[in-house]
Amino acid sequence: MTATMMTATSAKTTCPYCGVGCGVNLTLPYSANEAVPPVSGDLEHPANFGRLCVKGSSLAQTIQSDDRLLTPMVGGHPVAWESAIKTVSAKIAQVVKDHGPDAFAFYLSGQILTEDYYVANKLAKGFIGTANVDTNSRLCMASAVVGYKRAFGSDTVPCNYEDLELCDLLIMVGSNAAWTHPILYQRIAAAKKQRPNMKVVVIDPRETATCDISDLHLAIKPGSDAAIFSFLLSDSVQAGILDQGFVANHTNGFKAALAQANESTPSLSLTADFCEVSEQDLASLVDWWRDTAKTITFYSQGVNQSSSGVDKCNAIINCHLATGRIGKEGAGPFSITGQPNAMGGREVGGLANQLAAHMDFATPGAQDLVQRFWQASNMATKDGLKAVDLFQAMEEGKVKVVWIMSTNPMVSLPDTAQVRRALEKCELVIVSDCKAHTDTTAMADVLFPATGWSEKDGTVTNSERRISRQRGLLPAPGEAKHDWWAICEVAKSLGFQSAFSYQSVHEIFAEHAALSAFENNGRRDFDIGHFSQISKAEYDALIPVQWPVPEGRPEGTKRMFEDGRFFTSDGRARFIAITPSFPKSRASQEWPFTLNTGRVRDQWHTMTRTGDAASLAKHTAQPYVEIHPKDAKRLAIKDKALVRLTSPYGEALLKAKVSRAVALGNVFAPIHWTQQFANASVVSNLIPQVVDPLSGQPESKHAQVRLEAVGGICYGLIISAVPLVLSDCLYWCQVPSERGYHYEVVWPSGQTQASLKLIDVGQSQDLAEKAEWLEYSNPITQQIRLAKLVDQKLTLLIYSHPQPESLVADWLISKLAINTSLSAQDRLAILVGIPANLEDKGDIVCSCYQIGSKQIEKAVTSGVCSVDGLGARLKCGTNCGSCLPELKRFIPTVAELSV
Amino acid sequence: MPSLISQSEKRRLVIVGAGMAGSKLAHDFEKAHGDEYQIVLIGEESRVGYNRIMLSSLLANDISDTEMPLVDTQKMQEDGVDIVSNDPAIKVDLKNKTILLASGKSIIYDQLVLATGSRASVLPIHGSSAPNVMGFRTWSDVDVMTQLDGRRSVCIIGGGLLGLEAAVGLVKRGHKVVVFHRSSWLLNRQLDEESAELLLNRLEQMGIEFRLGESPESFLQTDDGRVSHVVCKKGEKLSVDLVVMAAGISPEIALAKSAGLKTDRAILVNEQMQTSHVDVFALGECCEFDRQTFGLVAPIWTQINVLMKVLVGKEAAFVVEPTPTKLKVSGVNLFSVGKIQPSEEDSCILFKDVSANHYRKLVVNGGLLVGAILYGNVADGSWYFQLIQNKTNVSNMLDLLVFGEAYCCPQVA
Repeated sequence: MTATMMTATSAKTTCPYCGVGCGVNLTLPYSANEAVPPVSGDLEHPANFGRLCVKGSSLAQTIQSDDRLLTPMVGGHPVAWESAIKTVSAKIAQVVKDHGPDAFAFYLSGQILTEDYYVANKLAKGFIGTANVDTNSRLCMASAVVGYKRAFGSDTVPCNYEDLELCDLLIMVGSNAAWTHPILYQRIAAAKKQRPNMKVVVIDPRETATCDISDLHLAIKPGSDAAIFSFLLSDSVQAGILDQGFVANHTNGFKAALAQANESTPSLSLTADFCEVSEQDLASLVDWWRDTAKTITFYSQGVNQSSSGVDKCNAIINCHLATGRIGKEGAGPFSITGQPNAMGGREVGGLANQLAAHMDFATPGAQDLVQRFWQASNMATKDGLKAVDLFQAMEEGKVKVVWIMSTNPMVSLPDTAQVRRALEKCELVIVSDCKAHTDTTAMADVLFPATGWSEKDGTVTNSERRISRQRGLLPAPGEAKHDWWAICEVAKSLGFQSAFSYQSVHEIFAEHAALSAFENNGRRDFDIGHFSQISKAEYDALIPVQWPVPEGRPEGTKRMFEDGRFFTSDGRARFIAITPSFPKSRASQEWPFTLNTGRVRDQWHTMTRTGDAASLAKHTAQPYVEIHPKDAKRLAIKDKALVRLTSPYGEALLKAKVSRAVALGNVFAPIHWTQQFANASVVSNLIPQVVDPLSGQPESKHAQVRLEAVGGICYGLIISAVPLVLSDCLYWCQVPSERGYHYEVVWPSGQTQASLKLIDVGQSQDLAEKAEWLEYSNPITQQIRLAKLVDQKLTLLIYSHPQPESLVADWLISKLAINTSLSAQDRLAILVGIPANLEDKGDIVCSCYQIGSKQIEKAVTSGVCSVDGLGARLKCGTNCGSCLPELKRFIPTVAELSV
Repeated sequence: MPSLISQSEKRRLVIVGAGMAGSKLAHDFEKAHGDEYQIVLIGEESRVGYNRIMLSSLLANDISDTEMPLVDTQKMQEDGVDIVSNDPAIKVDLKNKTILLASGKSIIYDQLVLATGSRASVLPIHGSSAPNVMGFRTWSDVDVMTQLDGRRSVCIIGGGLLGLEAAVGLVKRGHKVVVFHRSSWLLNRQLDEESAELLLNRLEQMGIEFRLGESPESFLQTDDGRVSHVVCKKGEKLSVDLVVMAAGISPEIALAKSAGLKTDRAILVNEQMQTSHVDVFALGECCEFDRQTFGLVAPIWTQINVLMKVLVGKEAAFVVEPTPTKLKVSGVNLFSVGKIQPSEEDSCILFKDVSANHYRKLVVNGGLLVGAILYGNVADGSWYFQLIQNKTNVSNMLDLLVFGEAYCCPQVA
C-alpha cells in the first residue's frame, strides 16, 4: 500500500477521460508560478500499467485554464456562496411546495465522482422526493445497463480487461476503441501481436482506425447489428455449439429467443442481405464464432446509441448465454463505457430509472430499505424522467428547476433547439462547472464554481468494475468547491442538516459502501461492504479494486458469474427474443444522407478540458464531415470545403473530409465542437430526439440529413493576440493554440483589404495610428494576407483565399506578440505562413512528438518500411501509440512495393 | 610610341568614343584579335576607359578615384592599342574611310565603330547654357561638383536615376539640394507610385527636397550670366549656386549624321550592330535598334559580344531583352525590370511592408512574369529577371512568387 500513498507533492490519481480509467501520476510543480509538469502513467494501475493515450498524456496542459469559473454567479453577477445557496434552496423549496417534488431535477454527468453522485441521488430521491436524477450517462450506456439488467437481473459487467488479452476471438461492435479507448485498444493490439492466431473482427458501418488490427471488418448497414447476433444464435444451435447444460441449468427463455432468431434471420444469405455485407465475410465471422470458445464481444456507443440499443445488447448477450461463453476467462459480453465514472453513477443509482445501490423502485422492498437506511424524510416512489423526457418536460413547464452538473446538454443532447427552448423555459437553471463559458453555462441563472480534475477527491469506477481514487493535489482556485459540498450545502439549507453533514468525502464513500451491503446478503451484485467503515487514512490509501468487495473479500472480484448464478429472482439468466430493426429515421428524397456521429482521436466530449491543450488540436483542428468521394463529386463538394448539413431539426456547417471510410449515402461527423469553439458546427442540432423505448438512450448515431456545398465564400485564417468576436464570418472555428487566438474562418466572398482590416476594430487595445500593416494581395489566386504590427510586434494576422487551404499555423502562432521585434525575414515569412527554411511537417499524425504526414512520407520514401522503423527514425508512435493505426497506413504494402 | 597614322599589316579597327562601350570593346577586341587588328580608340574626354556608372559613387564619396577605371588603359597601350584622348572626332569620311580629329589628325580605318554615347538633354529654358548649369555625365562633371565648397544650393532638374544619384551625392557633400521632377512620382519609368513613395520618404529623410509634377519656369541670371535663381510655377524664386540638368539623355549622333549615316533618335543599326554603311557599326547609347535606344549597361555588353563576332565575320545577332534597373545609392535598394505599368490583361501581385520600406510588385501575364519592382529587399531581383528572361512558366508558383526564390525553389535555399 505504500506505493499508493499520497505525498504532498505528488499523487496517484485516475484519468478523467474515457471509461478505461487509467492510473495517472500527477506531480506538483516546484513553485506555484510554474506549470504543472507532464503527467505519467501509473505503472501499478491494472487498467493501463503505466501507459497513457495522447489525451491522458496531455492532462497537465489542461490544468491551467484561463476560463475557470471562480465565483458563484446569480443572474450574471458574482455573489458569495452563502447567498447563492440561499437563492437556490429558496427556489427549490418554493417550486416543490407549489408544484410538487417532480418540478425539480438533477442532470448529472459521468464525470462527477461517485461521492458527488451519491449525495445528489440521496437528496433528490430521499429528501426532495423526486427520482428526476438523470445524467449524460443516459447518452452513452443506458442501453447497455438495461441489456444487462434484462439478462442478468443486475447491471453487472461480467468481464475484465485481462479477458480482452486472453480471448481468441474479439468481436468489436460499434466501437472505434483505437481512438475512444486507446489503452484498451493497445492492450488488444499487443496481445494480438503476441498471439497472431487471435482473431479480431470489427463490426462498424465505418472503416475506422480500429480496423487496422482486424482480421475482418463487417461494414454493416447502419443499425443492422442485431441481425448478426440473431443469426449467430440460430447458427450456434445448427452448428452444435450450444452449451446445453448451461442453458438448461442457468437460463430461462431460450426457446422463444431461438424461435425469434430463426424467424428473423433464417439464413446466412438473408442476414448478409439485411446487413449489406458479403456472405463470405459473414461466413468468416460465423466460422470463427463456431470454433472459438474464448470469445469476447466488445461493444460501445455504436450499439447503445440506437432506438433498439437494448435489443442489440441482448442479441449479443443471448449468443454468449447460449454457448456458455460467460463467466469464464476470455469470454463474455463486454460493454465498454465512454466516461470515467458512468459506472460509479450506475452504482449509486444516479439514473432516473434506478433507486440506489443497484436497486430499482420496482425491486421488492427496496424503497423501504433505502428509506430506512437514509432515514429519508420524503422518498421518491417511482421512476423519474430520463434525459430526453426531462428536457421535454422542462419545455412543457413541468420541471421548473434544474441543476446541471459537469455536463453540456446544449451540445450533447439531441435536437439542441429543443434543449435551448427547455432551458429558456425553465425558471431556475443551476449549472455547476469548472468553466465559465460553455454552451450550457450561457443558459444558467445560477453558476456554481466547481473543482476539477487534480483538485477533486473521490472515487470513480471504470468499465471493468474497478474502483479507483481520483485524488486532489492542487488547491481549488478562487471560490471553487467540490460538487458534493455544494449539494450538501443546498440540502442543509433546505433543512436536511442531519443527513448531509459530512465532514469529509470519505464519509460519503463509507455510507455508500454501507448502503450497498445493507440487508444485501448476496441478493444484490453491487456490494462493497468491505469499505463501510473505511477511515480517512484507508480511503486516501485505497488501491484500485474490482467490485463486488463484500465484507471479508477485500481483494474484490475479477470476473462475475463464474458460478452461473445470476441476480434475477430465480438466479437464472434470461434470454430475450430479439427482432432486429433499423433506426427510426429513414432516408428520403428530402433527407438522403444517413449521418453517423462519433469522436476524433485527440478530443474528449465537448472539449471543455481537451480544448485547453493546444497540442490536442493538431490532429483534427476543425469540425468535419466525412463523405464518400462519389457523393462529394456528385454534390461538387471539394475536400476541406465548407458543407452545410441540414436535418428537419437544424443545421451545421462542417468542413468536408472526402474519404472512402464511409459508405455511399453515409456521412460521419464528430461531435466535439461547441459554440465556444465554432459558431455553427454543433452536430446535435441535426439529431432527432428518437430514443430507445426501454433505456431512453437517444439514437445519436443516426440522423437523416441533406448536404450542400456552401457557395459564394472565401476561406480565411486569423491569428490574433486578443480574442475576437467574428460576427462577419459565416463560419468560424477557434483552434486551441499555444498563444493568442487562432481562428479558421469562412467569409462571404468579396472581402477586400479594407474590409479585412476592420476585423479587430473596437476589440483590440491597439491604437490605430500605432499599427503598421503588412499586405499581400494576389488577384490571380485571389489571396489577401494582412499582418498588423504594433511596436514591431505581431498582433493580428489575416489570410483570405478562395479555396480551402491547410496551413500549419504553429509557426505563425509562435510569432504572435513575442517580445522581440520581427526580423526582416520573418516580416516576409508571416505572410507566407512558414519561414523559408522551416520544414513543412504536413498534418500532425503523432501528437506526442508532433510528427506530421510529410515527415513520415519522407521517411518512407527514404526506405523506412515499418512502423517500428518510423518510431526509430522520428519517434512517432513511440509514446502513447494512439497514432499507430494511422502510421501503419503510410507503410507501403508488399503488393505496392513489388510494383 | 607608334605613329597614329602608321601603316600596318594589320586591319584597322577604329572606335570613336572612349566611354564604357568603346573602351570595353577596344579592350576585349584587343585581347581576342590583337594579332590581326590594329585598334584605335578615340576619346574626347581627357580621361578614358573609366566606369561611368561609378560616377555617382564617386560623387557620394563612396569610392575613390582609384576605383574608377573600367579597363587598364596603360596595359592596353602596352599591348598595342592606340588610345587618343582629349581629341574629339569631328568628321567621318565614309568614302575614304578616314576620320578627322579636332586636332587635325586624320585616321584611316578598315572598320569603324561609333560609340559616341549621349549627352544630358538640355531643357529649353532660357539660361540653360549658363556656366553654372551642367549635366552629370562625365568625370569632369563630378570634378566640378566635388569642387563646390561650403553649403551651396543646388537645383537638380529630373528625378530619374541620374538626377537622384546626383542629388544624393550632393546632399551627402553637405549641399542643399532641390530636385524638380516633371512626373508626379520619382523614377516614373522604373517605379510605380507606391514604391516611389517609399523612395521619396527615404530621400527626404536624407535631406533632399522634392518638387514633384513640376519643372522650373525659368532661370534668373546675374550680369555675368550665371543662374542665380530658379523660378517655380507659382512665381516662387529659389536661390541657387548650381543647376544640374538630369532630365534625360540625348544620343550623340552629330558625327554620324554629318557623315550621312541613317539616324532617327540615334544611329540606326541592324541586329549585327551595323549602320547604314557596311563598314561602320555603332553601339551603346548612340545606337538605335528596333526603335529602342539603350541607357543601361547590360544590353550594351551584349552588343559588344555581338560586335566581337560580327567584326571578324562570324554570325551573331543582337536581341533586345528586358534589363533590370538599380539605383546606385547606398542605403537605397530598388530593382525594376520589364513591364511595370500593367495593362488590362496583366495582373499585379503585391507585397507591401511600408514601415520596413519593403515593397514588391510583380506583373504577371498568362502564366509569365513580365515585370517586377522590388524596393527595400532586392535579393530576389536577379531571380525574377531570370524568370522574365527565360520566360519561365510561373503558373504553379503564383501563390508564393512574390515571396521570392527561397520559397518557390526551396532546394536552392
